[in-house]
Amino acid sequence: MNQFIFQQGQAKELYAFPHILEFALKKITSTQLNSLNPTSVDYMRIYFVLDGKFEWIINRNKFVLYPGDLAVILPGQVFGGANGILNIGTLMWLNLKVEKTEPGRILLGDWSSLTESEGITISKILLFNSSSILIKLREHATLLQNIKNELTAQEIGYTSRVNQLIDELFICVARKITRQNNSQRDFPQTFLKLEQTLRQNLAYQWTVEEMAALTGLGATAFNEKVKNYTGFSPLNYLINIRVSEGIKLLNQEEENVTAIALATGFYSSQHFSTTFKKLTGYTPSEFRKRNLPRKH
Amino acid sequence: MECIITIELGTNAVRIFAFEMNGNIIGSMKGSYPTFHTEPDYSEQDPEQMFITMLYVLKNLLTEKIHPKKYNVVSICFSASMHSVLAIDDRGVPLGNAITWSDNRGKVEAQELKNSSFGSRLHDITGTPIHPMSPLIKIAWIKNHDHSRFENTYKFLSIKSYIIQQLTGEYAIDYSLASATGLLNIQTINWESEALAYAGITIDMLPQLAPIFHSPGKLRKEYQKSLGLSSSTKIILGSSDGCMAALGAGVWGEGKATITIEDSGAVRVISKEVLRDDKHRFFNYILSENCFVSGGPTNNGGVVFEWFARQFGDFKSPYETASTMENLIREASNVAVGSDGLLFLPYLLGERAPIWNANARGSYFGLNINHERQHFIRATIEGILYEIYSIGKTLEEHRSVKQLSVNGSFASIPFCTQMIADIFNKPVTISKNADSTSFGSFLVGATDIGKYKNLEEAAQTIELTDTFKPNKSHHQIHNRYFEIFERLSTNLAGEFEAIASLQQRD
Repeated sequence: MNQFIFQQGQAKELYAFPHILEFALKKITSTQLNSLNPTSVDYMRIYFVLDGKFEWIINRNKFVLYPGDLAVILPGQVFGGANGILNIGTLMWLNLKVEKTEPGRILLGDWSSLTESEGITISKILLFNSSSILIKLREHATLLQNIKNELTAQEIGYTSRVNQLIDELFICVARKITRQNNSQRDFPQTFLKLEQTLRQNLAYQWTVEEMAALTGLGATAFNEKVKNYTGFSPLNYLINIRVSEGIKLLNQEEENVTAIALATGFYSSQHFSTTFKKLTGYTPSEFRKRNLPRKH
Repeated sequence: MECIITIELGTNAVRIFAFEMNGNIIGSMKGSYPTFHTEPDYSEQDPEQMFITMLYVLKNLLTEKIHPKKYNVVSICFSASMHSVLAIDDRGVPLGNAITWSDNRGKVEAQELKNSSFGSRLHDITGTPIHPMSPLIKIAWIKNHDHSRFENTYKFLSIKSYIIQQLTGEYAIDYSLASATGLLNIQTINWESEALAYAGITIDMLPQLAPIFHSPGKLRKEYQKSLGLSSSTKIILGSSDGCMAALGAGVWGEGKATITIEDSGAVRVISKEVLRDDKHRFFNYILSENCFVSGGPTNNGGVVFEWFARQFGDFKSPYETASTMENLIREASNVAVGSDGLLFLPYLLGERAPIWNANARGSYFGLNINHERQHFIRATIEGILYEIYSIGKTLEEHRSVKQLSVNGSFASIPFCTQMIADIFNKPVTISKNADSTSFGSFLVGATDIGKYKNLEEAAQTIELTDTFKPNKSHHQIHNRYFEIFERLSTNLAGEFEAIASLQQRD
């Protein structure tokens, strides 16, 4: 493939795609000091290695990328070459503007035909796997190549086609990440990882689809596996965690019940109280009073 | 109609069974909870999650199986995995997570104590091997390395004591579970002052000692209401999972032993006397007055075969471990007894009885050019069961065993059960009661209301039918390979040490 660089505002190829900031293929033939200093930007960067060996630092973790590897750098993540140097080789990259970044979710924008819940789930997968966003997968080369072809040829339907290809790229990346991070052979291990993610983001209103996606399973298979392994449906298992964490926070005397309810993922203190009482027979405040007063 | 409920607080999950008074199972449910490994040697569980999971499962079982049929719940009898430690402060609030039996953080303390004559004496007095699993070692570790937790501790509990306290308000521990703490004198049935001194604690920092039949008090009113139980439902302390499994397997009396293999495993006998072993290879836990469960535990049971399946099995769909293992076993059955000379040492997790070597490691031995993939499968299973045999054989230096009763998900796979019969050259029966631990708890509950005169009578009602008969020619082949297995397990001690130290450095 020949070298090219399309930049928003300059390349006519990108007129119809305000969300594509830059799309390029470049051969790097010599190393230069300060050619890739660590930066953090508010858009998403996708790099694909065609040739060479690249040593990069992403989010303070060091990675070595070989041909066929792809890196997704999320808005706000720090990315740069080791020692600030861009190594010799051939790279493709795609910089994408994102509509909105909030804790726990990235919104791609109206151009994407992913449903809202798919978009959230994919962004969750990207966010929770921030240290392992590198994938050995040659299909990505074909996808990126097709985007390039569509952009240059501009045949009928190319606007839709390019956006579909970018969606497709995200779907492939998300699926590959979950497979890469879960051997799909050790459910207890996968479930433990999921449980840790849930505990770290307990205030979030998790859906079964999102939890399933993080384990690399479809919702039906996930439901069945979880029920079999834990004895609970995924949402009931989540209630176990919410209430157990709730008890721990109740035992720290300073926290107020509403704050605890929200921190553990209940809609309101009412919702917390009802669930808590149904399970334990106590309201949260009664439960708290149950602990003996300190003797000294 | 009346029923007895049993609650087993196991390693990975709580299992709750409801029994009719004749021992028939009305229903059962389980709920799992995770084990966290925040550091390489740590194994911890969240006490609140265990409690909530237990409550949730109990409530579901009552609502779905018990209340609709208007059963009257006579009693709820507990059992729990051994050796857990949970520190609580003076408000009863846990100081961190519970430390489970598989936690190894006290390995340095354990090694030092084990190598001393004081350690040998403590093992004799308390019945519990000197090992990182022992609460004695864990509390000493907290004292030495986690000063703020130690300073703030009002009591050191077992997870079962904590959960029973949540339900009833009382801090109690049964003699049986207490005898697995390394802190109890198993002859006087009192906390052992020398052990307490070593751990740096006083008697008032431990829960109240009581017999396994003891009721620490009624369910708190709030739980009676939310669970739909009356104040007449008796809470019974019960015992440990290991002792209950031995009781439920019906191996009371001369000539019988039970083999349990789940993830880990054990070979156990029940008798009126403590088993004295000069080499300190066994545990002696109290089941009830003048009745001891003795034997040896292994780290490397079904967990090793699952490891093998995950690495080398052919997964037809994601996470299908069970069917993958079934296919492996089918392949293994095509291979001759003894795997044509391929031996496997299963010590992936270090080993407890009989070699008690935390640095032991796994190995395939005797590999030649004719060995195929299927030989590895069979050798792996044979290796796991040779290790069980090495415990059994050591036990036979002290007790005669004529008949075996096996239980647990790995041991009760028919292919494995038959292999146990062949290796041991003894008739083997699979417990009729799928879950021996729960059935043991039922027997405690039933004895408590006078259905049986005592536990011995209760255990005698379990019929042991010899379903698996040993094949003598298979036994002879196994026996020849086992001799090499046994020699490798001890002769490689120096190499185990060397490789373990290299592995720990990386």
